[in-house]
Amino acid sequence: MFGKGLLKGLKITIGRFFGKKSTVQYPEERLPLPDRFYGKPDFHYDKCIACNLCVNACPNKVIKLGTETVEKKKVVTGYHFDQQYCLFCGLCEEACPTDAIKFTKDFELTTYDRDTIGIEFVKQGQIDKKIKEVKQAAAEKAAAAEKAAAEKAAAETKSQTEEADKAETTNKEGGA
Amino acid sequence: MKTQEMLINVGPQHPSTHGVFRVVLTLDGETVVKANSVPGYLHRGIEKILESRTYPQVLPYTDRLDYLAGLLMNWGYVNAMEELMDTEVPERAEHIRVIMGELQRIASHLVATAAYSGDVGGLTGFIYCFRDREDIMDMIEMVSGARLTPSYMRIGGVAADLPDGFLEKCQKFIDYLPTAIEEYNGLITGNEIFQHRTKKVAPITAERAINMSLSGPILRASGVNYDLRKARPYSIYDRFEFDVPLGSNGDCFDRFYLRVLEMTESARIIRQALDKLPDGPINAKVPKIIKPAVGEAYAEIESSKGIMGVYVVSDGSTKPYRIHFRRPSFINLGHFDELIQGWKIADVIAILGSFDIVLGEVDC
Ligand code: SF4
Ligand code: SF4
Repeated sequence: MFGKGLLKGLKITIGRFFGKKSTVQYPEERLPLPDRFYGKPDFHYDKCIACNLCVNACPNKVIKLGTETVEKKKVVTGYHFDQQYCLFCGLCEEACPTDAIKFTKDFELTTYDRDTIGIEFVKQGQIDKKIKEVKQAAAEKAAAAEKAAAEKAAAETKSQTEEADKAETTNKEGGA
Repeated sequence: MKTQEMLINVGPQHPSTHGVFRVVLTLDGETVVKANSVPGYLHRGIEKILESRTYPQVLPYTDRLDYLAGLLMNWGYVNAMEELMDTEVPERAEHIRVIMGELQRIASHLVATAAYSGDVGGLTGFIYCFRDREDIMDMIEMVSGARLTPSYMRIGGVAADLPDGFLEKCQKFIDYLPTAIEEYNGLITGNEIFQHRTKKVAPITAERAINMSLSGPILRASGVNYDLRKARPYSIYDRFEFDVPLGSNGDCFDRFYLRVLEMTESARIIRQALDKLPDGPINAKVPKIIKPAVGEAYAEIESSKGIMGVYVVSDGSTKPYRIHFRRPSFINLGHFDELIQGWKIADVIAILGSFDIVLGEVDC
């Protein structure tokens, strides 16, 4: 009979009409996102060792890493993430040895203009603090080294004087 | 009475072209006399871009070929690279690849089924297929972190192991799929209007299909038994039991229905792979910096649209000298102009839909 197929289709849709809903009311309701989701990137300044691996792993030159050498130590002075070119492939995260670059579950990344889409993760305060720390550590190290050197020198002079004293006494004794 | 031929543009901004594809039709009344396809609106020069990327960096770009079957595109590339570098992929990785690849195939066929239903006027079928595709998208997101652009495979293995809860979810979906397919058949396949629009429309003979080097469901709908997974098994496909569904008329209806049948077969493969899934490493030992010896490799896989071939030429540096993709949609589309001649303009959309093209892949 012509139309049997049509009626069967209608039966399915009517059954579905009284069934459970498959949709959720975004943005009030949200589905849970899996842990591996690649959303907005997040950067941990203190974990980064400025190794440049993420920059080299990226296919699209998204990441610009700025570094400065303070007291022979590399300090991160900039980490610019140009989100508009990111493929969200995760190759940077995979390359990072310290998990300094990570992706969060935030997927609402639209902005009103191009200038605000890139993220500069590193704040001036962080750099200043880090440089201060490095300098302080270097100074402490230098001081410790100086102290150690001074002690060593003092010990040496002491032993020298002792020897000289000894020599003198022997001389005196010899002279007597 | 003198009639005049009319020139009409279908696309590039037409939803039923599944992207940005343009066909210039010469019409005599409603009948197509001549057709001229104009692809290229989505051309991004991926093959050229890849010449300035390192081997691992190529991977995310392959997702953007056939974005409805990103994992299969990944697979095509890593397959060619493994051949070039003579890498042995661990067992577990192969099984994961099969599971994910077949899930992706089902997802791709679901889109094809859905879009076809929409193309010929039944938007209800569209929504039903997309509801179930969402489950697969969730699984792919769970494993790889992205829905359409997973970049999940790696040269020599996969990016990460299957997460907790995946196996149960996958099993549940496979068990549910037959019910869903029954629904599609009730809604779309069995619908008389749908059948009238598609049966006996634009048949392709087996001989013509072979001569035009068609591949995938379009070729098999014409009755040619050629599925790379059976004909020349790659990966571990020789260990699974499955059938290759074949059509008999090669018309639009066969091309559509073949995909529905293939979903069941894919589910069968996944079930076996889940049962056999071994433990072990998921990555072969590949050097950190990939520098293949001078040489070239060509490898093919059966993607959801047909034979996906990747040709890699290495000059011994860290970047490929040349990568070429044999994209199935592009080659299948070569037969389109000839096929639609003599059919009515309303059929043009039905015929194009039955080809299941993805413009990211056609234009590359
Ligand atoms: S996710 Fe990919 S594209 Fe984005 S910054 Fe990381 S490596 Fe680059
Ligand atoms: S790979 Fe990690 S540690 Fe190295 S520079 Fe990038 S974020 Fe920093």
